[in-house]
Amino acid sequence: MSRIAGFLRELFATPLQILCAVLLTVVLVLVAVPGLVAPQSPYAIDVARALQPPSAAHWFGTDDVGRDLFSRVVHGTRITLGLVAGALLASAVVGGFLGLVAGYYGRAADLVFGRFVDMILTFPPVIAGVVITGVLGPGARNLILALAVVYIPMFFRIARSGALAERQRTYVEAARALGFGEASIMLRQVLPNVLPLVLLQYVILFPLALQIEAALGFLGLGVAPPTPDWGAILEQGKNFIFSAWWMSLWPGLFLLGAAFAVMVLGRTLQQRFDRR
Amino acid sequence: MFRFLATRLASAAVAALLSSLAVFLLMRSVPGDIVSQMLGQSGNDRTAEEALRGFFGLDRPVWAQFADWLGATLSGDLGRSWYQGRAVTTLVWEAFLVTAEIAVATLVIATLVGVPLGVLAGIREGTRTDAAIQAFNLLGLSAPVFWIGLMLLVGASALLEWSPPFAYMPPSVDLAENINIIILPVLSLSLLQAAAYSHFVRDTMVTELRREYVRAAIAKGLAPRQVYFKHALRNILIPLVTFIGLILIQILGGAVVIESLFSLPGLGRLILSGIQGRDYPVVQGALLFVVLIALVVNFVIDLLYGLIDPRLRP
Amino acid sequence: MPGSRLRLIAGAFAALVAAGPVLADDSLVYGKSDPAAKNGGKITVGSLIEPPSLDPFLQGADARIRVSGLMYQGLFFEDQTGVPRALLAKSFEVSPDAKTYTFKLREGVRFHTGQSMSSADVKYSYDWMRDSRNGSPGAGDLSSVTEIATPDATTVVFKLARPNAALPMTLTNKYGAVVPKDYFAAKDAGTKFNEVSVGTGPYKLKLFRPNSVLVLERNKDYWQKGLPHIDEVTFATMPNSAAIVVALQNRRIDLALFSRPQDTEQLKNVPGVEVKRWPSLNQKTLDLDVKYGHLKDIRVRQAIALAIDKEAVMKASIAGYGTVIGTIVIGMQDSWGVPLDQLANQKVDLDRAKKLLADAGLADGFDIDLTTIIGYDWMDAGAVTVAEQLKRIGIRVHIKKIELGVWIRNFRAREMGFTFNDWGTTPDPSLLYYRHFRAAPQGADFRNWNNEKVSALLDAGQEEPDPVKRKAIYAEFQKILADDPVSIMMFSADLITGQRDRLKNYDQHATGWYFGLIKAWLAN
Repeated sequence: MSRIAGFLRELFATPLQILCAVLLTVVLVLVAVPGLVAPQSPYAIDVARALQPPSAAHWFGTDDVGRDLFSRVVHGTRITLGLVAGALLASAVVGGFLGLVAGYYGRAADLVFGRFVDMILTFPPVIAGVVITGVLGPGARNLILALAVVYIPMFFRIARSGALAERQRTYVEAARALGFGEASIMLRQVLPNVLPLVLLQYVILFPLALQIEAALGFLGLGVAPPTPDWGAILEQGKNFIFSAWWMSLWPGLFLLGAAFAVMVLGRTLQQRFDRR
Repeated sequence: MFRFLATRLASAAVAALLSSLAVFLLMRSVPGDIVSQMLGQSGNDRTAEEALRGFFGLDRPVWAQFADWLGATLSGDLGRSWYQGRAVTTLVWEAFLVTAEIAVATLVIATLVGVPLGVLAGIREGTRTDAAIQAFNLLGLSAPVFWIGLMLLVGASALLEWSPPFAYMPPSVDLAENINIIILPVLSLSLLQAAAYSHFVRDTMVTELRREYVRAAIAKGLAPRQVYFKHALRNILIPLVTFIGLILIQILGGAVVIESLFSLPGLGRLILSGIQGRDYPVVQGALLFVVLIALVVNFVIDLLYGLIDPRLRP
Repeated sequence: MPGSRLRLIAGAFAALVAAGPVLADDSLVYGKSDPAAKNGGKITVGSLIEPPSLDPFLQGADARIRVSGLMYQGLFFEDQTGVPRALLAKSFEVSPDAKTYTFKLREGVRFHTGQSMSSADVKYSYDWMRDSRNGSPGAGDLSSVTEIATPDATTVVFKLARPNAALPMTLTNKYGAVVPKDYFAAKDAGTKFNEVSVGTGPYKLKLFRPNSVLVLERNKDYWQKGLPHIDEVTFATMPNSAAIVVALQNRRIDLALFSRPQDTEQLKNVPGVEVKRWPSLNQKTLDLDVKYGHLKDIRVRQAIALAIDKEAVMKASIAGYGTVIGTIVIGMQDSWGVPLDQLANQKVDLDRAKKLLADAGLADGFDIDLTTIIGYDWMDAGAVTVAEQLKRIGIRVHIKKIELGVWIRNFRAREMGFTFNDWGTTPDPSLLYYRHFRAAPQGADFRNWNNEKVSALLDAGQEEPDPVKRKAIYAEFQKILADDPVSIMMFSADLITGQRDRLKNYDQHATGWYFGLIKAWLAN
C-alpha cells in the first residue's frame, strides 16, 4: 500500500501534476457516477425553458430545446471519453499486434503491414477522420472506426520498434534454444516487454484522439442526437454562439480539462519511462 | 545516398497509390451518389437515372473507373468537378492558396511566439517561469482548435463589437479585407502551434544544456548568453527545421475544421463539400494533393536528417 | 401573434384561385412594383447554402433554384397566390378537349448571349427537359406532353395525351428554363452554366467561386423595362446562422433568409435591421414507408400520428415560428386545404394510440430508427422531441443521422423507412401531391402506399379543369391521407428574413427563392 502511495507521490509532485491529479479524480467521478453529480435528466426536453443562461436551477444554462446543459455535459463525460477510450483500445490491439508481428517476424509481414500503415499515415489524422466518417456517414460505430484507423500506425510503429529491439535480446535466443515455438516466444516473452510501450503510447495519444473526436462531432460527423457527446453539443451550440455562449463554453472547457489532465499524466509517465 | 532517396521515393509512390485506391473504393462502397443528389425527390424515372449514371461513367466496373482515373492522373489531368465542371487542378490550386496563406501566417506567428518562449523555459529550467510556460504549452496543446476559434469569435463580438466578413477575399485583391478574414482562424491555429513549438524547443533546449560540452563551456568561464545562443540554439536548429514540416502537416489537418468554422474556401472545405456532394473527382484530386504534400514534407525531413546527420541514414 | 399576417395573405389566395391563370397584368410578375424605386447600388446576401451547380435543368435543390430563378425564365411565373403569371409567354389558349395548349410568346426578349428568343428556342428547351435521357428531374412533370409544335416564331403549341390542369404552373421556374436552341450541342454545355449564364432573366452571372461567393450583375437588355433596380448582387456563403446574424448587425450583408426562425431573436432590437415574416410553401413532415417493419400495419401508422403533438415538435425545432398544418402546406391551406377539425388523427390521443398498438399485437411497444438529414438543423431538435413523444406509447425511437445524398438515394429507391422530410412545392396541388402519392409508374409513390383510390383521385385532380371540382377532389384525397397517415405533415415554418433598412421593397417569395430581388431597390 505504501509503495503505491509512494509511487503516486512521486508521480504527482509538481503543482501541474497535482492539478492533473485533481482533474483526473473529477473526471473519474463524472464517468463513474454522473447521475449523482447531475441528477437532472440530460434528455428531458422542456421547450418553455429553452436557451436560458446559467442560473441556480441550471448551472450551465439550457440548450435550444430546454435540456439542462450541466447534466448533458456531465453525462457526456462517460460517453465522450468512453468513445475515445474504446476506439484507441481497438487501435492499440490491432496496431500493436500488427507491429509486434512485423517487428518480430520481419520480412513479408513487415513489408505488407508496413505499406498498409504507410497508406494511412499519408493522410493528416483529422483529414483521414473526416474522409472515413464523411463517406460512411456519422454515428458511433463509424466514429470509433475512424479514430481506430487513424491511430493504428502510431501503435504499429511503437510495437514494431519494441519487438525489433527485443528480438535481438539474449532471452529470446535462450527461449529458442529451449525449444519454444516462435509464436509462443513472441506472445509470452516479447509481448510483455512491448506492452508498457504500447500503454504509454495509449496515454499520450488519448488527448489527441479526444480532440479529433470533438472536431468530428463539431463537423456533424459524430454520434447521433440526443446523445450528449461534447463535440455534438458544440455543434448544436454553434448556431447560438452569440446569443447563448454557454452552449459552446462548457463542453469546450470540459474537453480542455480532460485533455489537459491526460496530457500531463502522459508527460509524467514518459519522463519516468525515459529515466529508466 | 542515392539508394536511400530512391527507396524513399518508391515507398512514397506506393503509399500515394494505395491511399488513392482506398479512397476510391471507400467512396464507391456506400450508397447515395451524385446522381441521386441531382435528381432529388423528383420521382423515379429510371431512364434519367441511368442516363446520368452513364454520363458520369458510374455504370462501368469500379476497376475500369479507377484505371481511367489513374491513367489521366499520371498524365497530369485530375478531371473536372462533376458539379461545377471546372478542372480539379484549378479548384485544388485555388483552395490550396487559401490554406497555404493560413498555414504560412500561422507558422510565422507560432515561430515568433513559440521559439522565444521555449528558449526562455529551457534556460530557466525548473523555475517558476519554466513552470508557467510549460503550463501554457500543455493548455495550448489540450485546447480544441475550433473551440478556441469559437471563443475568439464570441470575444471579438462581445468586447470589440467586431466580426469577420466571412466572404473570402484574396490578398491580391484587397489585402486589408483579407487580413480581416484570416486573422481569427490564424490566431486559433497559432495558439496550438505556438504551444507545440514552445514545448518542443524547451525540451530540446533542456537536453542540449545538460550535455557535457555546454557544461564545460560554462565551466571555462564563457558568458552563459554566448553559450546558449552560440552552441545550444545552433544545435536545436536542425530538429527545429524538421519540426516545421510536422507542424505544416498538422495545420493542413486542423484547417478542415477551422475553414468550416470561418467559411474559408480552402482545401479542407473543398474535401468536405466534395464528400458531401459525392463529387468524386474533386475528393480524389484534393486528397491526392494533400497526400503528396505530406509525402514531400516527410521526404524533405528525411533528406535533411540524412544530410545533416549521416548516422541517421538507413 | 404568429400566423396572423399569414392568414391575411393566404385569405387573398382563395379568391384568386377560382379565377384561373391571370395574364393581363404584367406589373404583378415578380411581386409589386415600388414607384419610388431608384436604380443602382450593390448588395450582399448571406446564405448558409450554395448551389452545387447552376444548371437549371438538373437538380431540384432549393440552393440552385433560389439563384437560377434570377438568371433563367420559364414560360410562367409561379405567383405565390397559386396563379401562374405570364412570363416568357404572353397569353395562352386551351382547346375544348383540354389537350392542346397554345402559347403566344413575348416579343423583344433577348438571351444574355444577345440572341433574340423565338419559338424554336422554347421548343428546344422543353423538348430537352422532357426527354428523360437528359436527366432533368422535371421530365416526369411533362410526361403527358406528346409533342411541342411551332407554327410561327411567336407561337408554341403543347399537345397532351391527357388533360393537365397544372401545365402552366409546371412551366414555371423550378426545373428547366428557356435557353438558346442547340445550347446543349456543345460538349461542356452542362458545366458552362457555372461560368456564363445564357438565360433571359434580369440578372447575369458575373462570378461563381464555390465555397465562397456567387456574384450576379444587372442584365442591361432585360425585357421588362426599368428592371432590375440593383446593379450587383453578391451571395456570400456563411458558416452558420450565428455568423449571418452578426454580419447583418455589422452591415456586412443586407439580406438573409433564415432556415431556423429562432435565430432572428437576437436581431429584434438591432437598429437598422428589420426582421420580417412571410408565409411559406414549405412543410416539415414525418414520412412513413408502408413497407418498413411495423409501419406495414395501418394501426401502427395511426398510433404514431395520434401520439405526435405537432405543436410541441414545432416549438422545439423552430421555436414556434410557424403554423401547424394538417395535410397541406400553409400557403395553400385556405385555397386547397381541408380545415384541420375535419381531418382524422390530428389531436393527441394516447389511449387510442395505445389501443391501436395493442390491437396490432404491439402492446409492449417496439424499436424503430428515425432518420434525420445532416445539415437540416431543425430535424435534430424535432427528432429528440418526437422520440420523447413516442416513448409515451412504448415506441422506442433511435435517431439515425445520414448524409443528404444517402437519404435521397433511399428516398428514390423507396426505402425511406421512418424519416423526417423537408418539403417545398410550387403552389398547385397536383405538383404537390402527384409524384409523391400516385402509384407507379405514373407517380413515384415514395412511401410504397400503392393506394388505388388515391391514384384515381390524383389522376382526376390533374385532369379536372374546373377549380371548384378540383378542390373537392383534393379534399377527398386529403381526408384519406389524414386517415392513413403515410406522411404526417406537421407544420410549415414561416420564412423569416432579416434585412438592412437600406434595402427597400423586398418581398420574400413563399417558395423561399429570391424573386423578390428583382423589384427591390437600394436607398441612397
